[in-house]
Amino acid sequence: MNDRPNVVIDVANLTKTYASGELQVQALRGLTFSINRGEYVSIMGPSGSGKSTLMNVLGCLDRATTGTYKLDGIDVSQLDDNQLAEIRLKKLGFVFQGFNLLARTDALRNVTLPLFYAGMPAKERERLALERLTEVGIGARARHKPTELSGGEQQRVAIARALVNDPAVLLADEPTGNLDSRTSSEILALFDRLSDTGRTIIVVTHDEGVAKRSRRILRMLDGVIMSDAPAGAPA
Amino acid sequence: MLAYFIEAARVLLANRTRSILTIIGLIVGVATIVSVQVAAQGMAGAVSGIFKGTNANTFFVFPKSTQGNTVRAALKLSDLALVQQDVPGVASVIPFSRRQSIVDAGHQRVRLRFGGESDKRFSTSPLAAGRTLDADNVARAAPVCVISDNALTRLFPNAASPDSVIGTSIYVGSRRYVIVGVLGKTKIDTAALGFDISNDVAIPWTTFYNDYQRGSSFFGISVLANQSADLKTMEKQTQALLTRTHGSQYQYFDFGFFAQTINGFFAIVGLIVGAVGAISLVVAGIGIMNIMLVSVTERTREIGIRKAIGARRSQVLLQFFIESLLLSAFGCMTGMLLGVGLGAIVDRGFIARISGVTGGIPWLEVIIIAVGFATIVTLVFGTYPAYRAARLDPIQALRYE
Repeated sequence: MNDRPNVVIDVANLTKTYASGELQVQALRGLTFSINRGEYVSIMGPSGSGKSTLMNVLGCLDRATTGTYKLDGIDVSQLDDNQLAEIRLKKLGFVFQGFNLLARTDALRNVTLPLFYAGMPAKERERLALERLTEVGIGARARHKPTELSGGEQQRVAIARALVNDPAVLLADEPTGNLDSRTSSEILALFDRLSDTGRTIIVVTHDEGVAKRSRRILRMLDGVIMSDAPAGAPA
Repeated sequence: MLAYFIEAARVLLANRTRSILTIIGLIVGVATIVSVQVAAQGMAGAVSGIFKGTNANTFFVFPKSTQGNTVRAALKLSDLALVQQDVPGVASVIPFSRRQSIVDAGHQRVRLRFGGESDKRFSTSPLAAGRTLDADNVARAAPVCVISDNALTRLFPNAASPDSVIGTSIYVGSRRYVIVGVLGKTKIDTAALGFDISNDVAIPWTTFYNDYQRGSSFFGISVLANQSADLKTMEKQTQALLTRTHGSQYQYFDFGFFAQTINGFFAIVGLIVGAVGAISLVVAGIGIMNIMLVSVTERTREIGIRKAIGARRSQVLLQFFIESLLLSAFGCMTGMLLGVGLGAIVDRGFIARISGVTGGIPWLEVIIIAVGFATIVTLVFGTYPAYRAARLDPIQALRYE
C-alpha cells in the first residue's frame, strides 16, 4: 500500500478553489511535495499566500478541490466528514495560535479530550494525559484551568493535548503568535526537543525566527510553493 | 455513554445560573400539572370518604316533577309495604322525613336537622352512648330519639359525657322525645361542603309520620338495600313497580350519582389545568431550545475545537442532546417534587380538613407526567440545537470570536 514507507505526507497537484459569489478564488494552485517521518518543516508566506488553506487541507479540516493527499499512507482526498474526523483523531495533533483550550476545564481534562472521543476509559485517559503534561513540563499544573495559566503554560497544555493520541503529524499554526519572546523561545525549545525524539512537526508561520528553528522551509506565494529548501539556506 | 452524561453535567454545572434560569419555566409547568393531579386525587378520596359516613346502599325514589297529575303520583304509606314485598334485597323502606326544627332541651333552643329513620341504620357514625333505634321503637312509634354529636354539643354544652344525657328529654314544639342514644363524631363535616346527609336528631320514622306527616303524601322514599344487593337493579325494579302501581313517572338517585358528578367535575378541572399546563410546557420547551441555541452560538469555538480534535458529528450531537436531556430531566424532576409537595399541602391543609380523608399521592401518574414531559421536551426542543452544533464547520467555528 505504501510504496515509500518513510513518507508521511504526500501531496500531488493539490488545488483548492473557493467560490465566493460570482468570483472563483484559487487559494492553492497545484502543490506537489512530500514530508518524511520525523521531519521538522515550516510553511511560510504572507497572508493570502494560501498557507492557512494548505494547513486546513493538511489538517483534514478541509478537502482539496483536485489532486491527491496521502497521510500516513491513507488517501484522505475522498473521505467524508466522519472519516476525516477519525483521521484527525488518530493521525493529527493541532496546536493553534490562540491555544484553543476549553475554558472552565482544567489542563488535565483538556488533554484527555481526544482520548474521550477515542472512547478510552477515564482512568487510562487521565494517566496518559498526565504523562504528556509531565513530558511538556507542566505536570504540576494539571488541575489548573486555562484562566489560571500563563500563555506559555496554556500552549504547553495545547501541545500535550496534540500529542496525547500519539499522532503521525503535529500541526502548529503560528504557535508563538500570542506569546512574548521569552515564552516563545521556550515553546520553540520544546518543539526542538520533540523533533529530536522523532516527531514529525509542521509549523505554519510568517515569523522568520520561528521558521529558522525548523530543518526545512516551504515558502508560499499566491497559492504556489516558491521555494523548498533546508532552513539556513538563503531564501 | 456515561462519560457523555458526566461531561454534560460538568458543562451545565459550570453555567449554574443559566442552567437554573433555563428550566424555571419547566419546573413551574410540571409543578402545576402535578399539584393539580395530587389535589384531584385528594378530592376523589374526599368524595368517597364523605359517603363512608352514610350507608352507600341507600337510594331515593321520588315522582318526576315534570308531570301533570302530581296527586296520582304522590307516594303513600301503602307504597312502602309494596316496595318492601316486591323488590328483592330491600332491608328497609321509609318515607323521606326531614325538616329543620327548633329543638328545645330546657336551657338551649337550637335549629337542627330533624328526621325519621328506621331501626336499620342509614348513618354509619359510631355510637357514643346508649343504643340505636330498635324495631320495637319503630313498630310502636315510640317518642324516642338518637342525637348526633353536633346536637349534643349544641343542646347540652355543659354535658359531662354523652352518657349523662341518656334518658333526658328534648322538645320539638309541644312534643317530647326521650334520648336513647348519642352518636359519636363523624370524621366528616359534611356541612362544611354545603350539604347535609345525616340527621342531628333521629326519631323512628313511624313516630315522624304520626307527628308530622299523617294524612299528607311523602315527597319520596328512601330504600336501604341489603349489603349484597345490586343497587342498580333494585332502583330500576322500584321505579317500574311504582310506575305500574300509580301510572306515573318516578326518578331515583343514589350517592354513587353524586360521587360521579363530583368526580366528573374534577376530571374536567384536571383536563383544563392539563391543557393550560401543556401550553406552559411548550413555552418552557421553547425557552430551553432558545437557551441551547444561544449556548451553541456561544460555544461555537468550543465546538470547533472539539471537531478539530476529532469529534465526529454524532459525538457533538450526542453531547448537546444530553445537555438538553439533563436540563429537562432535572427541571421535570424538580417540578414533580415541587408539585407533589404543593398538592400534598392543598390536600392535607384544605381537602382533608373538610373530608377527614387524606388522598394518597398518585406516584405512578405523577412520575409518568414528569418522565413524559422530560422526554417530549428533549426530543422536540433539544434536537434542533444539537443538530445545529453538530453541523458546524470546524474551520469557521475555530475562526469564530
